[in-house]
Amino acid sequence: MSTATTPVPPSAIQEFLHNLRRLPHTVKDAWFRLGHTPESEREESQATFHNLFLHIHSVRVHMRSLAPTFTLGLGIISAASFVILCITGVLLMVYYKPSTTLAYDSIKDLHFVVFTGRFMRNIHRWSAHVMVAAVFLHMARVFYTGSYKKPREFNWLVGLGLLVMTLALSFTGYLLPYDQLAYWAITIGSNIANSPRELTDALGITKWFDPGGFQRRLLLGANFVGEDALIRFYVLHVFILPAALITLLGVHFWRIRKDGGLARPEGPMGGVAEWGGEMKRVFEPLGTKTYGLMALVKGRRATVNRGPEDTVMSWPHLFWAELAVFMVTVVLTLILAFHFDAPLKELANPAVPENPAKAPWYFLGLQELVSYSAFVGGLMIPAIAWIGLALIPFLDQRTGGEGTWFGSPGERPVALESLFVGLAAVVGMLAFTVNYGWLRNWYPHIHQLWIIAINPGSILVLLYMIWSLWVLRRSNSIRHAAVALFTCFLVGFTVLTYFATVHRGPNWLFYWWPSQWPVH
Amino acid sequence: MPELNEKQKSRLEPAAIRRRSFLSVAALTSFFSAAGMALAGALRLPGPAVLPGPVRRFKVGHPEEFAVGSETRVEEANFTVFRDVQGVYAISSVCTHLGCTVARSADGFACPCHGSRFAKNGEVVRGPAPRSLPWLEVGRAADGQLVVYADNEVPEGTRFRV
Amino acid sequence: MKDPSLKYRWLLLGTSLLTIGYLVAAAVRENFLAEWYHIQKDYQRILQARATDERGRAIARDFRVELKQVSVPALKTVDRCVSCHNGIDDPRMTDVALPHAVHPGDILKNHPADRFGCTVCHQGQGPAATFRDAKGEDAFWDYPLLDRNLVESSCLACHDVEKLPPAEVALVVEGRKLYEEKSCGSCHKLGGRGGSLGPSLDNEGAKTKHQLILTNLSPPHTTWSWHQAHFRDPAGIVPASQMKNPALSEPQVLALTVYMLAQRQRDVPESYLSPDKLEEKVRRLHPVPLSGEQVYHQFCLACHGEGTYGRWDKTFKRFVPAIRGISLQATADRVYLETQIKLGRPGTQMPAWGRQAGGLLPEEINAVLDYIQPAASRIAAGPASLASVVVPRGDSIRGGALFTSYCSSCHGPA
Repeated sequence: MSTATTPVPPSAIQEFLHNLRRLPHTVKDAWFRLGHTPESEREESQATFHNLFLHIHSVRVHMRSLAPTFTLGLGIISAASFVILCITGVLLMVYYKPSTTLAYDSIKDLHFVVFTGRFMRNIHRWSAHVMVAAVFLHMARVFYTGSYKKPREFNWLVGLGLLVMTLALSFTGYLLPYDQLAYWAITIGSNIANSPRELTDALGITKWFDPGGFQRRLLLGANFVGEDALIRFYVLHVFILPAALITLLGVHFWRIRKDGGLARPEGPMGGVAEWGGEMKRVFEPLGTKTYGLMALVKGRRATVNRGPEDTVMSWPHLFWAELAVFMVTVVLTLILAFHFDAPLKELANPAVPENPAKAPWYFLGLQELVSYSAFVGGLMIPAIAWIGLALIPFLDQRTGGEGTWFGSPGERPVALESLFVGLAAVVGMLAFTVNYGWLRNWYPHIHQLWIIAINPGSILVLLYMIWSLWVLRRSNSIRHAAVALFTCFLVGFTVLTYFATVHRGPNWLFYWWPSQWPVH
Repeated sequence: MPELNEKQKSRLEPAAIRRRSFLSVAALTSFFSAAGMALAGALRLPGPAVLPGPVRRFKVGHPEEFAVGSETRVEEANFTVFRDVQGVYAISSVCTHLGCTVARSADGFACPCHGSRFAKNGEVVRGPAPRSLPWLEVGRAADGQLVVYADNEVPEGTRFRV
Repeated sequence: MKDPSLKYRWLLLGTSLLTIGYLVAAAVRENFLAEWYHIQKDYQRILQARATDERGRAIARDFRVELKQVSVPALKTVDRCVSCHNGIDDPRMTDVALPHAVHPGDILKNHPADRFGCTVCHQGQGPAATFRDAKGEDAFWDYPLLDRNLVESSCLACHDVEKLPPAEVALVVEGRKLYEEKSCGSCHKLGGRGGSLGPSLDNEGAKTKHQLILTNLSPPHTTWSWHQAHFRDPAGIVPASQMKNPALSEPQVLALTVYMLAQRQRDVPESYLSPDKLEEKVRRLHPVPLSGEQVYHQFCLACHGEGTYGRWDKTFKRFVPAIRGISLQATADRVYLETQIKLGRPGTQMPAWGRQAGGLLPEEINAVLDYIQPAASRIAAGPASLASVVVPRGDSIRGGALFTSYCSSCHGPA
């Protein structure tokens, strides 16, 4: 018989007090399932997949995914910018008033009076620019590493949808301060939306079919930029577009997971194991995935707590990396926001047009093309470019070479060549049009259809396509042709944006430097 | 079974868990401090730095313009300024029931909307009004004029001595 | 294997510290380096030094260091000038420097800052919280802070200039006198009355610098510096301008500039207008007819001069007729002259002056006709018969040249 006395059960009051005293511990244990930092790989994997926010990540991640030079962290930078924009955006919403009579003053209040208002507004503005730049660079990275190929084609399309959302968010936000910059930029933007009129007018069918007018009225809610436009842009900017973007972003992240993480060069997973004097595969090669959702292990011995070679636990390594890149984005934005104020001009004044009235920088390349033909530059070429981008993964079905920059042989020289060809074509086109003008200068009464068909923008696109087809024939590789075309478009877009920023002055005339612009 | 060499052995052993390094602690601490500071700054934002709207502070004139025993109605600010031997005081003309402007009656104030009645010192005598007409704070501006702070109530009977 | 995330931890540490640094810097910049904060602290010290009686002590005690503003919804303005200009209504602050000093004059007695704000008279960027931003000069602000001597131009937003004490609006009064003296109405319209050669000046004060030609103006670019430069040398500022140099002294340039700035149709609520302003508006609709001499001096002088001699005008590249010359006075048909005045002379610089076009009342046109061509000067009729006329002998070539010089502007080429 046991000599130990059975403990007397404590009274209910004592039990109550005991539980009260232990409250911090019991709450902590309920909240954190593990309760302490992981001490084994199993606990580390639990920390990842038990967490609502973290379980979108896989438990193990390939070491290549952590290499900074592979992705340059551009996807995280884009997402981090978006998070910063959401937070600062909601804060700004506390003071911003979306009315033509109140908006400008509310921005002035934010700048001069509201606690941290100037800083928040600057952060919001600059991180918007960072996000647009990052998404373009991210798209280029995904393209050049061939990470759109099977099974990632759909995610490429989702990404293109995200690109449009990002540009739309930036565009709708541009009007909200309702200053001269905003008013005239959106006047131009809405007239670009109206540009199908150019074609329907030239064909004489506007009376029955007017998509241009429809688009413009839908955007503005009126025939002019005013209160209705401001409210529509506001609703788009703070609710509709962010909701759509977050949804697409969710799909985007989920597809990354489903498609097996970041792309990597094809080949066996990590090394092989030496076994009985022979080299034997330890795991089935998984193509271009960095992990599978499940992995069957081959071998004579069960290896528990061991994973494929060259992979590391997501907790903590991947999360250190993501956190670090997030903070890089934050610090970059803070530095910009501290030293440079977001621009704000005079109150919007319909009687005093800005000259030159320039769109936001990411649309300036298009504005240059629009100066030749509104329809071609504003709608046709962007549509062609977007559809072309969307088709890439479906036209380039050959696998091989993904997971590294310029993975397949001969890609890098093709890209370099296309850089020069693209550069020469766009610079040549600009030099020609600046010096000699175009059709309307030589034949003032020429029909608009001729200008739509034969204008610098469409000629440039044609030249790029011809070059791409030439590369296709020469190297017998669709991928090379895609690289050529993409590089040409990238170069063209960059040069046109630079040109319209620096070299276009009042009345859209050519100037070498802004200091030469005439004072009106 | 053949003996395993060191390399093979190591592959079969669970990898050692990194001990928490000073760098990790420092990095995480600085991250959370930065996040905390940013949050603090962000939470400061909704608190208004200046209260919007016109400040309800009215200069009504110099004390000499208010004779002892006089009462002066100030239309735009909706109160009446009184002066007696003890000093100057102001009584609001906003009925405490639902906000109509009370009219001066023979022995006080009467509200035309629902019939509330107040005595000359603002005390509620009758009617749906739940409380007396508030007395407003009176002060003196730097240039000597009397100032009524229409947003500040003072206890009934408070007079500003001039 | 070596630590795969080591570099990221270093990166996280570095960027987080940098973030903390920038957050602290931003907080310091906003809270401790704010201009208004130090100015208010200075003012607090001044108040405490001047707290000699109970009232002074109460004022010093109640003074709070915080952002201050005057919100006047009726005038659609929020002015934060009072965050730095704390002593504007404290009569003790006469011997301190700006921004603590009391507002000069006694204008705040009738125009308390609480009811009017500051920018309605002084212009400037009211919402700003620093002086440089408040000035709004060479910045993205339509109406920068007015120079001290220009402020009286704002009085006319609510007041009739004729009913104000002349000493308070000396420059505006002088400017109006000069406008009439220099016959600016010959080419410019004000209140619907005047010539059409130059632009109408009804809203000249509301123009922003973007609506003016700044090419030849040296900085600072403000509307008043433009007007001053324009008055000194019209064609130098506006290329190919037909405006003659009015030959003004510097004080006159200032007076006219103030008068121009005062020409501004502002959206002031009726409760802010002084009663005489409404009377002025009615008066404008029913102007009292001017005398003939006044009409001539205000609307004809600039081009025709005294009118006794014709002159060649360099800018018009035309010969301007002598409309008060003895020949014209003796022989011109009155109906002919009235038509020229009412309908103008298309193809020349002579505009129409009738009620719709030039704003002159029929009585005024009659009056100026009497002034140009007094009844006594007309010849009643020609000689009874031509037999008594002696044909003079002369040099017809010289006569032709004289005709071209002096007569052809009305009578056509020789």
